[in-house]
Amino acid sequence: MDEANQIENKISEKREFTVNSASLKEVRSFSREVFEKIKINQDLKDELVLAIAEAAQNIVKHAYKDIESNNDKMEIKISLKKNDELEIGFFDKGKPVDGAKVRHRNIDDIKPGGLGTFFIQQIMDAVVFREGDKPWINHLILTKQL
Amino acid sequence: MTYKVSEEGNISTVFLNGEIDMDVVDKAKELIMPLVEAKKEVHINLKEVQYMDSSGISVLIESHQKALEVGTKVVLKEISKSVLKVIMMAKLEQILNLD
Repeated sequence: MDEANQIENKISEKREFTVNSASLKEVRSFSREVFEKIKINQDLKDELVLAIAEAAQNIVKHAYKDIESNNDKMEIKISLKKNDELEIGFFDKGKPVDGAKVRHRNIDDIKPGGLGTFFIQQIMDAVVFREGDKPWINHLILTKQL
Repeated sequence: MTYKVSEEGNISTVFLNGEIDMDVVDKAKELIMPLVEAKKEVHINLKEVQYMDSSGISVLIESHQKALEVGTKVVLKEISKSVLKVIMMAKLEQILNLD
């Protein structure tokens, strides 16, 4: 954690992952490692790990849709601010995502698919899409007050 | 994810073990769907599944719907606490057959 981050945050850790489905297990392991350092109950830890894994899965499935093979990395940054707001940033170099078009399916319309975004919205307080600063294309920010 | 399948009469029980995510979901689907399509009553034992994401839930929905279509059923058995929580978050506890 650098000095500026230490002043702003209680915890701030980031890691890069290759953009593919095999990395999702590593994403969960990283998230669990970070949440071990935060005093929150196990149920909430499990929910946050699910939200992070679903967001990472969306990058693999949607931002990199139709991109057959790549060695691109995505970065995930988990920060706990001094006011106990958890902020999770996702950075990727896939196709630009229009946040306004990201919708979960109607939950009463029972069919496979479309649940990941619903889970993220259920678990987190806010979901914000931004254009990424170079070299990133997309920057997704999930926040939750702990 | 690892698995074991046992057969008793027309009931096939699939014991899943581990974490079910997008990376292994095709394997789970390839295991479960042929049993449903063969009109077996399929019991999916989720006691040893510590994690399931939306991809895994999609397989449960798809197999349940296929079972209704062919006239059989899929029953979820010994559902672990973490999987039950995700099923409930998806508001599927009244839709899927939970035992």
